[in-house]
Amino acid sequence: MTARTELLQGSLDLLVLKTLDLEPLHGWAIAKRIQLLSRDVLEVNQGSLYPALYRLRDRGLIESEFGESEEGRRVKVYALTPKGRAALVSGEQSWRLFADAVEAILAAG
Amino acid sequence: MGAWTWIRRRWRILFRKADEERELDEEIRSHLEHEIRLNVSLGMPPEEARRRALAAFGGVERFKEEVRDVRGARVLGDMVQDVRVAARSFLKQPAFLLAVLLTLGLGIGGTVAMFGIMDASLFRALPYPHPDRLVMGRITWKGQVGNTVSGPDYFDYREQSTSFTDLGAYMPFALQATVTGDGQPQRARYILASTRFFSALGVTPMLGREFTPEEGENGGPYGVILSFGFWQRRFGGDPEVLQHTLTVNGTAVPVIGVMPQGFRYAVDVDFWLPMQRGGDWASARQFHNFVLVGRLADGVSVQQAQADVDRISASLQETYPETNTNVGLNLTPLKEALAGPYRTTLNLLMAAVAVLLLIACGNVAGLLLARGGARRSELAVRSVMGAGRGRLARQLLAENVLLAVGAGAVGLALAAWLQRGILTFVSMDRLGRVEAGLSLPTLAFALALSALTVVLFGVLPSVRVARTDPAADLRSGTRTAGSRSATRFRSSLVVGQVALTLVLLVVSGLLLRTLGALRGVDLGFDARGLLTADVQISPAKYQTAEARVEFFRELQVRVTALRGVKSVGLISRLPVRNPGGNVRVDLPERFGSAGVFGKMADQRTVMPGYFAAMGIPLVAGRDVSLSDDGNAPAVVVLSQDLAEAVFEGQDPLGRTVGVDTGGDEPTRFEVVGVVGDVVTESLSGGLYPAMYFPYGQGPGSTLRLAVRSETRAAGITGEVRGALAELDPDIPLSDVATMEDVLSRSVSGQRSLAWVVSLFGAMALLLAAVGLYGVLAYQVSRRLHEIGVRMALGASAGAVTSSVVRGGLGLVLIGLLLGVPASFLAARLVRGLLFGVGTTDVATYVGVAGFLGVVATLACLLPAWRAAKVDPVVAFRAE
Repeated sequence: MTARTELLQGSLDLLVLKTLDLEPLHGWAIAKRIQLLSRDVLEVNQGSLYPALYRLRDRGLIESEFGESEEGRRVKVYALTPKGRAALVSGEQSWRLFADAVEAILAAG
Repeated sequence: MGAWTWIRRRWRILFRKADEERELDEEIRSHLEHEIRLNVSLGMPPEEARRRALAAFGGVERFKEEVRDVRGARVLGDMVQDVRVAARSFLKQPAFLLAVLLTLGLGIGGTVAMFGIMDASLFRALPYPHPDRLVMGRITWKGQVGNTVSGPDYFDYREQSTSFTDLGAYMPFALQATVTGDGQPQRARYILASTRFFSALGVTPMLGREFTPEEGENGGPYGVILSFGFWQRRFGGDPEVLQHTLTVNGTAVPVIGVMPQGFRYAVDVDFWLPMQRGGDWASARQFHNFVLVGRLADGVSVQQAQADVDRISASLQETYPETNTNVGLNLTPLKEALAGPYRTTLNLLMAAVAVLLLIACGNVAGLLLARGGARRSELAVRSVMGAGRGRLARQLLAENVLLAVGAGAVGLALAAWLQRGILTFVSMDRLGRVEAGLSLPTLAFALALSALTVVLFGVLPSVRVARTDPAADLRSGTRTAGSRSATRFRSSLVVGQVALTLVLLVVSGLLLRTLGALRGVDLGFDARGLLTADVQISPAKYQTAEARVEFFRELQVRVTALRGVKSVGLISRLPVRNPGGNVRVDLPERFGSAGVFGKMADQRTVMPGYFAAMGIPLVAGRDVSLSDDGNAPAVVVLSQDLAEAVFEGQDPLGRTVGVDTGGDEPTRFEVVGVVGDVVTESLSGGLYPAMYFPYGQGPGSTLRLAVRSETRAAGITGEVRGALAELDPDIPLSDVATMEDVLSRSVSGQRSLAWVVSLFGAMALLLAAVGLYGVLAYQVSRRLHEIGVRMALGASAGAVTSSVVRGGLGLVLIGLLLGVPASFLAARLVRGLLFGVGTTDVATYVGVAGFLGVVATLACLLPAWRAAKVDPVVAFRAE
């Protein structure tokens, strides 16, 4: 039985950007990919995924177009924009900063 | 973010919202499919896989709201979105849109047009001041309301009653006169009107004055009041017209007034002459030529006024038992009296268009249901995702409201046009100005009607679609998806449509049979190849009886001599063409006892040869002859029925009849001949007793020509006109028409009504057939699989065809069974419009039902054939 955990507030956007940095994906695949990469630790709540996708798109960080899934079905595929790539870089940096800080505190003592 | 970008994004969000909604739906569906497929691949049974996927997703609608929130697009609310989505989806289906708009538009247009006419004719007040104070006075005979009152009776009512501020009298039929003097001689129409007639209506002449009491007395001064139109035409609108005279039938009459533009009451005329006590048309109590119109005094009710005139009627009966026994006066509010005769016709037409609208609504409801069926997967997905049923119903309702608004607009545009059409068909001349036009109440009615159609065709289907069980829909796919209840609904629509169509067709069938019966009426004379015309001589120029007889004799000779003419008749009033003019006739010794009224018979004066020219058989005795002049004994030729009625089987030849000519004693005539009876009044009036006097013994100024020709009757008009002009160039040949045209025109009211209702019936039939076809085609498409299985199992094409047809005809049969009693009721309501056919005429019912059945079978056969052609392989592949 794998332990699962909720995502921290704000971290979903970063995960989505990172996932899409590897390759363009459709919504369901993004959720599955995150679950896979986190070795089933992180389970994405669909109820948050789509709002996040729309939010990112409206901010111009990702873009969407209709493509085909592996099964040949019409799906909406999301991809990173250059602006999104820049956001990913800065997001990664702040996350590492934040995570290191948290780690340091937790390690103390 | 710049302001411009912000605005653009909001704009995009608001106005592309529909697209994005669809994308979102699609995305969610795709997501669920992926999830389900994954679950299945993990070994779950499909049901479980689906359930888990939905559970994992969570509340879909809540989630979608979150998405919308993110996109900041709830600003304009759902309504705008609904309407936009609706409009867009309609534009994608122009054929559907056109079908709905035209069907509903025609229905609404027709109904609105009829409402406008009813509003103008039945509901709206008369165009006179305080119209509710106006009453019409008509004669009653043993309590039965008749029409015209005698002149002397009118004067007694006017002088003895206390209930009126004004009581006037007018002739309800127009007279013809030749007008000479300034300008060309021409024929004009006029009636006699009493003093106070115009003031009773509350209308004053725009120039001059109305008739004075002196002008209303025999031997008093004479004046003429012109209609606005005649003043314009004849006098060019001359403001000094009151200085002029108008020469009417050779007599110069001073012009005393001009009525305002648009004034018209009961009869269309060029001018009015004064009705004089004891003068023309008003000389005796047995001559009934006038209708009364009164304005009630303040505080007097119709009942009080009625009691007042009843008292006068009673005293008249006592004083003049010979003429007034059983005679009374009925007062009816003027509006009711004028509109009454049109009420049945208008109600019938209104009911017919309303039925048509109902049937149209049924079809549109059917169309929407079918469309709803095609969209169920979309709706079901939205429903599964958590969209409330109310939300879905609202969406569908928005579409329907949009349709109704569109149809209402189309309907209004058509209404104005239809109204003019209906008014030209259905003449309502007695009401005066019934003009095409869309008044405020009519517009309000159109609005209400459009709203009603939404309820009729829209709400039920919306509720039905929204109420379907989405889980079941998803489970079973789109093929048979929960549409049984929708089919049942459509089937009941078809049953209702068939029933209503039957009602309309039965009524139109009865009206057509009426028309046929009128055409088939035995006229008593031969109408074929007969040309008719009026010839009016100037009394001043032809003063003596000899001169008049000589003129018409010469005319008869000259016209008879024309090539192609077989014979020529001359009579004061031609049958059907010139009705009226009846008096009492009986054995002279029977006159004088109270309450004995003798027989009523039309009186006519004829030149010799009339009966032969008309093809009226001479049964006994002789025709009138030229030697029957003022110096010879007064003679008469009776019609057969009249001779029978008066002499009760004895030989009338050589006997004497007394004719009521207004004096104390009847005038005596010796019967010299008996001729066949003819239809004199109207085709529906039947044969009417008549007596014919020799023209030489009562030469009036007008005779009517009846020219029997070998060729087409109308072709000799020019020659007849030429012959008359040679004889006297001042006399116009007027009102030329073939007798067949006259007869046809005399039933034009019945004919147009029959055709209009038949047209409605045909439209209803077409719509019902389309509705039936739609239901069956839908059923067949839904049952393709089943039919395929049955055919694979060996069912023959014939068996499949007949099963579909049976299903359709079953509906038709139920519709017919419901429609027959409804038709009986409808026929009873319109029985006043029927002639020569009963309300339960079996032939009509059987014929109409059979016809409907044949059309319905055709409508069933098309989908049935399609069903029979189903290829089982294709049907299975469609899975």
